[in-house]
Amino acid sequence: MPHVVTENCTGCRFTDCVTVCPVSCFHGDDDRIYIDPGACIDCAACVPLCPVHAIAEDMDLSGDREEWISVNAEMSRALPVVRVKQAPLASASARLEALGRASRE
Amino acid sequence: MPPVKKSVKGACPQDCPDTCAFIYTVEDGRLLDVKGDPAHPVTQGRLCTKLNDFVNHHYNPNRILYPMKRVGPKGSGEFERISWAEALDTIRDKWTGIINEVGSQAIMPCSYLGHEGILNGLTVGDAFFNRLGSTVAEKTFCGVGREVGTFLTVGDSTGVDPESLVHSKYIVLWAVNTLSTNSHHWPFIDEARRNGAKIVVIDPLRSRTAAQADWHISIRPGTDAVLALGMMNIIISEGLYDLDYVERYTIGFEDLKARAAEYPVSKVSAITGISEADLLVLSREYATRAPAVIRLGVAIERHRNGGQAARAINCLPALIGAWRHVGGGYIGVTMAAFAINWNAMTRPDWIREGTRVFNLNNLGQVLLEASEPPIKSVMVYNINPVVQAPDQERIKKGLLREDLFLVVSDLFVTDTAKYADILLPAAMQAEQTDLMFSWGHFYWTFNHKAIEPPGEAVSNTQLFRLLADAMGFDEAEWQRTDEEMLRDFVDWDSPLMAGITLESLKERGYMRAAVGDKDTRVPHAEGGFTTPSGKCEFKSSLAAQGNFVPPPFRAGYEAFQDGSYIDPLPSYTPPFESADSAPDIAARYPLNIISPKAHSFLNSQYANEMKQRRREGRPVLIIHPEDAAPRGISGGDTVKVFNDRGSFVGAALISEDTRQGVVASYLGHWASDSESRSAVNSVSSDRTANMGRAPTFSDNLVEVEKIAAASIAAVAPRRTSLPERV
Repeated sequence: MPHVVTENCTGCRFTDCVTVCPVSCFHGDDDRIYIDPGACIDCAACVPLCPVHAIAEDMDLSGDREEWISVNAEMSRALPVVRVKQAPLASASARLEALGRASRE
Repeated sequence: MPPVKKSVKGACPQDCPDTCAFIYTVEDGRLLDVKGDPAHPVTQGRLCTKLNDFVNHHYNPNRILYPMKRVGPKGSGEFERISWAEALDTIRDKWTGIINEVGSQAIMPCSYLGHEGILNGLTVGDAFFNRLGSTVAEKTFCGVGREVGTFLTVGDSTGVDPESLVHSKYIVLWAVNTLSTNSHHWPFIDEARRNGAKIVVIDPLRSRTAAQADWHISIRPGTDAVLALGMMNIIISEGLYDLDYVERYTIGFEDLKARAAEYPVSKVSAITGISEADLLVLSREYATRAPAVIRLGVAIERHRNGGQAARAINCLPALIGAWRHVGGGYIGVTMAAFAINWNAMTRPDWIREGTRVFNLNNLGQVLLEASEPPIKSVMVYNINPVVQAPDQERIKKGLLREDLFLVVSDLFVTDTAKYADILLPAAMQAEQTDLMFSWGHFYWTFNHKAIEPPGEAVSNTQLFRLLADAMGFDEAEWQRTDEEMLRDFVDWDSPLMAGITLESLKERGYMRAAVGDKDTRVPHAEGGFTTPSGKCEFKSSLAAQGNFVPPPFRAGYEAFQDGSYIDPLPSYTPPFESADSAPDIAARYPLNIISPKAHSFLNSQYANEMKQRRREGRPVLIIHPEDAAPRGISGGDTVKVFNDRGSFVGAALISEDTRQGVVASYLGHWASDSESRSAVNSVSSDRTANMGRAPTFSDNLVEVEKIAAASIAAVAPRRTSLPERV
């Protein structure tokens, strides 16, 4: 029962999360990142680091959002591991604001 | 003035090798947050799926807040609040009556590592019960068989520093599911892999760790000694061993060589179920890809030959000279790095001559059969034996005895606490002071009391002060504060404590024992083993004294050790229960059950938390498709798992993650949660392994049958099998 990266990552890709992951379970492309469900151990260390609250535990997802479980499984399989923090996307700060989160210093 | 948030340094109290450094956040006397300390080299700012909700665990509405007495029938769990004074008076009167009537040995403590602190953990009640004159209880639930096997071979070794694993090139994770039970070792292992190391997992089950490894070798339970002997035979016969290291720093090579020669590859393959090709590759790679390291888990001991299996495996690093290299050798427990005055904690000098010993793995039998005198009272603390100990049905039967006076101190009304006559409220970690050693790294960790205990809960140290006072014990020891006890319990002058004081520990939260630098450390590069010969003993000189349990696991007591025969050479004895060794049992119960630790629970702890229970799902039975099909079992079916000792139910999880002939069910689910009112230890026997009186949880045969048409797939985990590593 792993954690998954959901819709809020798209257009942000802050990737603070990858720096704390003990099992290197994040995989990503130019747009966003995903969690490999086989590797995630539910330590949840990444959850508080995400400025846009994109990471959720799969059992907390319901309805349409459940699709993120299979999306994470499929995309993580296809994409390389991201272990080092990337530069956030150009749209990240605007998106952060749009999502109503306080900007970080 | 608005409330001020403050940070308090703490330490995880659990029986886990990782012993994380906590940072508590407290506001206005309330615990707001518990985090892993980001500065701690092993914790690295993370806790785990078990401890992440530790705040809620403190404020769980089901905490026991006050002393209570039983008002319903035995085992009904019906209690009524009483005062501490009434609880202590009742206990004193009952115990005094028992002592006068049949003698103090009719009283027995039952405890273990529900808490792991120097103060409130393994030994917290030992001095009290030794003073009382109770029966001495041996507590050998976890690791003692492996440790005796290790001790006979390499002495009291600190082993490889887990932080040195980054230098390893070949890492064998043997009988350990690192990602579920030791996850803070993984970043070092993962870094080693990025540096070119190969990760091999040896386990009957394709665990989370096996799924993430480079190579999973599935082994038949109970045959690990054969694998180790077979590897040694290949390594010796192909000339891959380190002759110079063997000549300088080992004894008994010629005897070991002859013993290993009894295990040619074809025989090893037949016994272990590992292909001949895999045996050759493993042996050759292990011997040639230096530095090679073996991390050996506790599961190695859970069968008849458990101690000898650990001993055989401990011979491997010396044979190939692995100890020469940083990151080469063996990791079992790191306990030898911690200078602890065990006798100051346990006070064996207070044990009266002739006092008998019972092993807690035989708790059910002891409760039902002990005589002269029978056990008339048990005090349970730091343990939930109904779930944790083997032979669950006899334990439950024993606890139902009307003439047994049962005192239980705990955080919650566990499956064991339900049977109590007197129930006492225990404090949780943020509510008390403690100092933690670790058995998985080299850091001491101090736990500051951050908040007050709820209701009338007390720490275990305070509990035994109160009991000592009630019993009229007048020694000065009972007047000590927690801090004064710590000054007595640690050998602060030991070279291992160089640069460490209680004051500095309190200030910094954690400090590393003086065992050398992780990037240069080679503890046995030139021998230096603390065996009688000073060498790695392939042939053990200490075996002559017979089987034993180290005194810290038996209240410091030296007398009445097991003493049974130990083969001085690593050896193989087949399991108690297998098709070959017990065909009559196997005819009725053909499946070998193993019961690994659940990912979301810590033994039975946290299995009462809704979040962890949701994550873990219902009890499952992992069964191979070839075993499920002839029994008409489909995925999600409710199945009954049974043998002559008992039964439990679970949801069938059909998967090739397990071997044909081997079924698995995770430990920790509370019996009271199940429709069968039982859990996996219902089917386990109370026989002990050939060293250290270790339990034999992996040495049990069962049969499985589908019992209802209704599917419970809805609450079973979503996946049926672990995905491949990406």
